[in-house]
Amino acid sequence: MKHVIVIGGGIAGMQCAAELARGGVRVTILEKQSDTGGKLRNWHKLFPSLTPAEEVLGGLNHALKRSSEIEVRTGCEAAGVTPQRVTLATGEELECDAVVVATGFTLFDARIKEEYGYGIYDNVITSADLEQMFNSGTVSMAGGGVPRRIAFLHCVGSRDEKVCQRHCSKVCCVTGVKQAMEMKELFPSADIFNFYMDIRMFGPGYEEMYREAQQRCNIHFVRGRISEVSPMIDGRLQIKAEDTLTGRPLKIGVDMLVLLIGMRANDMNTVLEERCGLKRQPSGFMQPRDQFLHNTESNVPGIFYAGAVTAPKSVGESLNEGTAAARGVLDYLAAGEGSNKLTVAG
Amino acid sequence: MSFYADFCIPFIVGATVMFAVIAIKYVTWLRRLPKSDLMLIAKGIATPRTLGAVWEVVRESLLHRRIFRVNPLLGYMHMSLAFGWFLLIVVGWIETVAYLGLRWVPLQGHVFFKYFMPMNGITGHKPLFDLVMDLLLLFVLSGVALAWFKRFRSRSLGMKRTTKHVLFDRVALSALWFIFPARLVAESITSALYGGGSFLTGGIGAGLAAAVPPEALAMAYEPAWWFYSCALGVFFVAMPFSRYMHIFTEIPLIFLRYYGLRPEDKEKSYDNFELQACSRCGICIDPCQLQSQLGINDVQSVYFLRDRRYAMLQQKIANNCLMCGRCEQVCPVGINLNTLRLNSRATMRNIPNERRYNYLGGLDRSQGEGRVGYFAGCMTLLTPKTLTAMQRIFDAAREPVWWADKEGGVCCGRPLKLSGEVDSAQKMIDYNKELFRRHGITTLVTSCPICLRVFREEYNLEGIEVLHHSEYILRLMRQGRLSVKYSAATFTYHDPCELGRGSGIYDQPRAVIEAVGQLLEPAHTREDALCCGSSVANTAINDAQQLTIARGVAQELDETGAETVVTSCPLCKKAIMRGATHRVADLSEIVAENLGR
Repeated sequence: MKHVIVIGGGIAGMQCAAELARGGVRVTILEKQSDTGGKLRNWHKLFPSLTPAEEVLGGLNHALKRSSEIEVRTGCEAAGVTPQRVTLATGEELECDAVVVATGFTLFDARIKEEYGYGIYDNVITSADLEQMFNSGTVSMAGGGVPRRIAFLHCVGSRDEKVCQRHCSKVCCVTGVKQAMEMKELFPSADIFNFYMDIRMFGPGYEEMYREAQQRCNIHFVRGRISEVSPMIDGRLQIKAEDTLTGRPLKIGVDMLVLLIGMRANDMNTVLEERCGLKRQPSGFMQPRDQFLHNTESNVPGIFYAGAVTAPKSVGESLNEGTAAARGVLDYLAAGEGSNKLTVAG
Repeated sequence: MSFYADFCIPFIVGATVMFAVIAIKYVTWLRRLPKSDLMLIAKGIATPRTLGAVWEVVRESLLHRRIFRVNPLLGYMHMSLAFGWFLLIVVGWIETVAYLGLRWVPLQGHVFFKYFMPMNGITGHKPLFDLVMDLLLLFVLSGVALAWFKRFRSRSLGMKRTTKHVLFDRVALSALWFIFPARLVAESITSALYGGGSFLTGGIGAGLAAAVPPEALAMAYEPAWWFYSCALGVFFVAMPFSRYMHIFTEIPLIFLRYYGLRPEDKEKSYDNFELQACSRCGICIDPCQLQSQLGINDVQSVYFLRDRRYAMLQQKIANNCLMCGRCEQVCPVGINLNTLRLNSRATMRNIPNERRYNYLGGLDRSQGEGRVGYFAGCMTLLTPKTLTAMQRIFDAAREPVWWADKEGGVCCGRPLKLSGEVDSAQKMIDYNKELFRRHGITTLVTSCPICLRVFREEYNLEGIEVLHHSEYILRLMRQGRLSVKYSAATFTYHDPCELGRGSGIYDQPRAVIEAVGQLLEPAHTREDALCCGSSVANTAINDAQQLTIARGVAQELDETGAETVVTSCPLCKKAIMRGATHRVADLSEIVAENLGR
């Protein structure tokens, strides 16, 4: 029986492993964390349908458990990759017939944009922190108060040359709309502002959601980035921004600021490039063989990609790539078997 | 004796052209000096400053002491050519006087003395002069040999990269390289035919006399002197138009400097002396991080000065400089490279927009009251950890503070100035000056070295002491108003360009760090410190290039093994953070974290 190693037990890796097992292959998932599920474990609800993240994870975990051919190794980090062998950080080597790299992305560290005050002022949080608050059911200001005015700032660590993240992280726009609506649900009397550069509603139902946020929820959208945040005497946060549609600078005090942090490439991608001969894009994300017919294959035959390791992607897109990568691996293994048989027959 | 031969023509023509062009240049430059500069000269000329200048001319124009500090071999090369040639001329003149007494001898009579006075025709031969002149010729020739060697192995003379030269320079350089070998050949042949000469020319002459038939030597005699004269002539004609103009220009420059003349925000005639005193030695190229980190090799000071001198300076060259001052630090001529670049920028883009600054009228967002004022500056407002740390420090020292710009204020003006918009910058300077005066402060503290520099250099804040927060914190600690806890933590320190080379503040931040933990120095430190790469002075490189420089700096700081990288400039902090793997903090942060009591 052929053996495939999937590096990364996030949603793309899980979906891919389940598909591979269904195709009659033995699969080992290497997961760095203590459990599978990746970043989705810390997420509350998914746009645009507000499906609980748990539901999607439950389905994926169920599929993994159903197959006896899937082994999940948690707390396990890969340090080197070839199509035939994965070397772990501990030095252990695992033999295989193909590898799927599904290592995903890293959340941008908002502390780098010190002017927004994350890690300095209590009521500046990130979109990821807010999801955890939703999960724990305690959404409030640091002192426990109810926020009366909330601001969301889009594109933190995305489309920002100053922090060398030029790419668009794609999903933060709609996440900002979704979270703003959820906050309005929790705090109906609060004023909510979204500061954006562009609003990119690329998926089915997103534009409708955006319209609903404005019309039904009365969420204010201000076109312009925030330049700096400072504390006010009463402990609130003062935001300086420019409304680029009216061309005027603006200053408002808010109780809470949510930074919509982007996706950046993993630091490990440099290792994949330097030690494993895999190509990287200028953004730092891995480069698929091409954007169209081989977008889940790497430049090395036998090493495949699934999910956000090649670019920021939505949950749905990552799941699709898990399936597509599995299909590619099965075809690759079958072709290899064919050539082996020919060699034996010859 | 007439002291004339046809072969002297190239020399005479060359020397005439050279002296005429130099005289025209000097007269023009001096006449165009602003009145204030002329006054400075008039006041200084009859003072001991003149003697100081003379002594510096000896040290720098002849001995090249500053180049010895860069590399001893390189220093020797420059010294042997300059001082050696100078002594050849002086001793040559004494030799003529010794033989002929004090009488008028035309210039070529001195230079070609061995031709006009072959030793066989002389009574009272003075072999001592032959010996000294041979020794000096050997001295110069050793310099020429080193110059040849430097072409191929510049690294052995301490230079990774050397200047790419223009045509004038190449012509003059080739001529210069031929002058002394040509003199050696001409004098050796003369010695072979007519005797004289010491161990060098005499020795070679004796060898020639033994090996070559006298008819052949006689045939080579005139052409050898022609060649020597031609080499001199070509060099002299090319000289005022080439880099060798520095030989004479550095001398008046040193005097003018001693009288207090300096380049300013706007171009003026004095700049010509600085521009043409550049010898294009290329010592400024290696320290430039745009070169070493980014491979940009047409913007360094040597090329900037050259382009400006030949009136072909482009904005993209003038703008592509971090103004970190690393080149200024090593320039053997001590040219004010940053100021010259700044006033070039001013000439190219000082177009004040009158309406743009209307908002300045009546604006005052300052808070609090106190004799001590704190000016955060734009970059500190973007790095609020520094601001909160300063607040804690002021509170701990029980210092009432007037906060100039916590709620937003007007820029100090230096970034605009660095980009060449000096008149717009002046509007901000005037605004802030008035603001500081109105609130009656006696001390102005800033945590931004960029602001510090312009406050100190341009604001003329009499009665208000301007302090960088490193100086202020150290003062509080020494006065016993601020106590900090010492721990086993390790720190390394990055010298900001504007604070270190710009304002000469190196020790105060170090003293503060050493009060809270152990300080580990990086490879490049103090005067030699690297630039973080995000300098507001450079408007040409992009963010990725800035990051490349920052990574280089961060790596060097990381290599010290310190847990925290400390700096005392908000811009440096932001830049290094982008490339560092360790924690990067402002000096005020580590003090605020370790407050005692």
